[in-house]
Amino acid sequence: MNKSNLFKLLALLVIASLALAACGAEATPAVDAGPKVTSNGFTCPEPSPRIDVTSTELNIFVWTEYIPQDMLDCFELVYPIKLNRDEYSSNEEMYAKVSAGGSAYDLVQPTDYIIGLMIRQELLKELDKAQMPNIVNFDDGWMNQDFDPGNKYSIPYLAGTDSIVVNTDTVENVPQSWADLWKPEYAGKMIFLDDSRAVIGITLLTLGYDVNTTDPAQLEEAKAKLAELVPNIKVFDSDSPKTALIAGDADLGMAWTGEAFIANQENPAIQYIYPTEGPILWQDNWVMLKDAAHEDAAYAWLNYTMQGDVFWLTIRDFQYTNPNKAAIEYAKANYPDVYNAYADSPITNPPAEAVANGHGITDVGDATPLYDDIWVEVKGQ
Amino acid sequence: MLQRLRENKSAQGTLLALPTTVWLFILLIIPLILTLIVSFGRRSPDGDVIYTFTLDNYARLIGYSTDCPDGQTACFDSLYVNILGRSLSLAFNTTLFVITLAYPLAYFIARAHPKQRNLYLFMVLIPLWTNFVIRVYAWMMLLRKEGAINIILGWVMNALNIPFTPLEMLYTPGAVLVGMIYEFLPFMILPIYTSLEKIDASLYEAAADLGANSVKTFLRVTLPLSMPGVVAGTILVFIPVMGTFIVSDILGGRQVILVGNLIQRQFLDARDPTFGSAASLILMVLTLIVTYFYTRKFGFGEEIVVG
Amino acid sequence: MNPFRRSPFVIVATVLVYFFLYAPIIGLVLYSFNASRANVTFQGFIPAFSERVVMDGSLVKSSPCGPFHWYCDLAKNDDVAEAAGNTLTIAFTSTIVATIIGTMSALALQRYNFKMKPFSQLSLYIPIVIPEIVMGIGILTLFSQFFGWANNTFNLVGDSRLSLGIATVTVSHIAFMVPFVTLVVQARLQGFDKSFEEAAMDLGANEWITFRRITFPMILPGILSGALLAFTLSLDDFVITFFTNGPGSTTLPIYVYGLLRRIITPQVNALSTVWILVVFFAVLLLQILQNREQKQQ
Repeated sequence: MNKSNLFKLLALLVIASLALAACGAEATPAVDAGPKVTSNGFTCPEPSPRIDVTSTELNIFVWTEYIPQDMLDCFELVYPIKLNRDEYSSNEEMYAKVSAGGSAYDLVQPTDYIIGLMIRQELLKELDKAQMPNIVNFDDGWMNQDFDPGNKYSIPYLAGTDSIVVNTDTVENVPQSWADLWKPEYAGKMIFLDDSRAVIGITLLTLGYDVNTTDPAQLEEAKAKLAELVPNIKVFDSDSPKTALIAGDADLGMAWTGEAFIANQENPAIQYIYPTEGPILWQDNWVMLKDAAHEDAAYAWLNYTMQGDVFWLTIRDFQYTNPNKAAIEYAKANYPDVYNAYADSPITNPPAEAVANGHGITDVGDATPLYDDIWVEVKGQ
Repeated sequence: MLQRLRENKSAQGTLLALPTTVWLFILLIIPLILTLIVSFGRRSPDGDVIYTFTLDNYARLIGYSTDCPDGQTACFDSLYVNILGRSLSLAFNTTLFVITLAYPLAYFIARAHPKQRNLYLFMVLIPLWTNFVIRVYAWMMLLRKEGAINIILGWVMNALNIPFTPLEMLYTPGAVLVGMIYEFLPFMILPIYTSLEKIDASLYEAAADLGANSVKTFLRVTLPLSMPGVVAGTILVFIPVMGTFIVSDILGGRQVILVGNLIQRQFLDARDPTFGSAASLILMVLTLIVTYFYTRKFGFGEEIVVG
Repeated sequence: MNPFRRSPFVIVATVLVYFFLYAPIIGLVLYSFNASRANVTFQGFIPAFSERVVMDGSLVKSSPCGPFHWYCDLAKNDDVAEAAGNTLTIAFTSTIVATIIGTMSALALQRYNFKMKPFSQLSLYIPIVIPEIVMGIGILTLFSQFFGWANNTFNLVGDSRLSLGIATVTVSHIAFMVPFVTLVVQARLQGFDKSFEEAAMDLGANEWITFRRITFPMILPGILSGALLAFTLSLDDFVITFFTNGPGSTTLPIYVYGLLRRIITPQVNALSTVWILVVFFAVLLLQILQNREQKQQ
């Protein structure tokens, strides 16, 4: 091709890329007076209190499908801060990226059990409660947990359970316990989480052991038992298990609160069952990384999202168990439909027996490689 | 000094090649050395690397252990070897299928009217230029239980009054194979086309003059002369298939564990960079060995890659 | 024997293969008009236009954009624009650098003998035969170790901390693109007729002028082919980018992969279709320009 045409093409590419780069990297929006409204038509509440911020960016590393879009949009509208968001779908993946170093995230959302490891590895910065006045919004029942006494490093985000999901239309005998899932009639129809601790954990429960055991003999038994189950599992998915359930590619299996809720909405035949051995309980939290470059922006985000009139969006968009009592009160007062859907659902509001029966996963320290090895070997067959 | 530079050819050469060589040294050679070092290390309980010298990771890959049943002194567990074997077999199968599908198409284009060839090539290029991940997603939509293929099959079966249960195609090894074939098919079509196109038409005339029929012409003239293209295409297909983890992730339901998945998991989920590094290097060595023997037999085909 | 005669077997096979190549793409485009948000089965086109989006369960009954609802949805998506911008920026920058240094090394390897030559040659083959995941993880390890050390030693904090981002992705892309550029340019140099250069030198031109006026224009098509190949490789790259990117440096392939991890709505299909169309017209443009050039010749 002759020179001049090629140069024209290259020039076009230059202009195109510059244009798109300019479009994409918008200047941070100016903060002006007047109501801020997101593209969904949601009017953003003002931050209270308003933090003084000099950073212009905030880098967060979060779970997929976990933060309401309006929450993200509103933050960028009320503060002149650009939010950069990357996502992960397993704690281990998050940990690998964060501990590898070289990443520039400010805030991440680890689940309870991995916080102990992150503290031990000195990856976290202590939180300054003085900069988070809205922390009083949280229900005391979710604070001061074993994995972070005194909430030195973390504050709660959302909580939930891992339990059995069943499509009652396509499955005749609805399983009532984790052990039931080993039945041959379910072979090739199941979806499970791609989460070593959760899946090994429930296997241990079926054997009557503790989900956090460090006893190698018990773990060997669990490995053997799990090896029987894995061939029956059709798909492992920790990103969006509801997709396979709604699409009919899987009929039953293991999922968590938010996924089960949405699946149930799309198809009421999909039900969430708390097994007799007890579900897995978990709590996700915000932590700040030690090398966070934008501390003030991080505190601004945490305070803003902790507000009742902002956090209630999670009740609306991503249905999980909510530890923020201000948000619950706000929803109850202003959006009763949303509140009732939340309060009435056994998925988001598990019955007391289920919670009492439930098991939390904790950090097992030196025994962690044992679990990892089981997982690799059992899935590799 | 500039004058001296002009005269010293060797220095000129070095200077010209320097940026690339330095770049590749830093970004390729050093990482490989690092990977090698890490592969000899041990993993700390928290997933860090303890730098020491141990062959444990490699032993683990071949499943060697001294803790054996039946009182044997040494035995082998084939878990990881199976994974390697599975990946090799997938790579071979994919390559075979791809050659089978690509050859007729390449042949067709090469023998088409010169004015039309560009159009046909254009049509091959478009799927290639769309995004890799998007192509895999497209297959997910086709293969799922209520996806397009099952729907169409359902219509056909219903019209023929044959009872039909939807096929479970997604999340199987078959889905992974189809995905791999689809991803890498254009990479075989182009090199084969290039080598076919270079065959001098007069050779066909000569063969005809000597009384060969079309089958014989194909076997004795076309096929051997197109081998450089097949070789180049094989290299462009085989190597990536060995290392791909996306296709088996998305289409295999995280069930089909290939070497690529194993490595990905060791680094991301299992937090064992030492074992992952060892697996990485074994993958690379395996690929190099297969490529070496292949190119020794058939040549490197580099003239086709760039043609 | 008619060189253009093809056997029926070849024709049938060709049609089938083309169908195989395009079936998923057709499905992809079709589903981008799907009225069902769950996007599992095709529930028909969105029938009506209306002021606001009206949903019935997970079916879109009517929308301001009618059947193109998901495209409008896509247009509101800032993340996509940012990802597209990043992708092009990285592709463009890395192509320029890779082309320049790749051409330089092609010239060096083809025409000169120097001590470093075997090493240069070998290092250029490695990226071609190494699986991308090995390279990606290796580079990540390198960056992590280096940044960790540098940040500690020079006490870099805040925004001046070294970390993964657009720069690291670009630098990594250049590394795997250079060998391809070199290979392409080298091939062009191989078939090069030196007599032109010799004639120019006989006429009194020095080396630099010879290069600029004779050599360079003649190898330019090769250089541009190499550049185009490099650009494509960068645009489509997933694995290396996956391991070397950081906040704010998401590229389109990474973004699409991220979308697949969430609720998959037809917006993904809309994005895919737009991408296909852009590529289609770009390649079409290329072909037209190429045809025009051939006609001039």
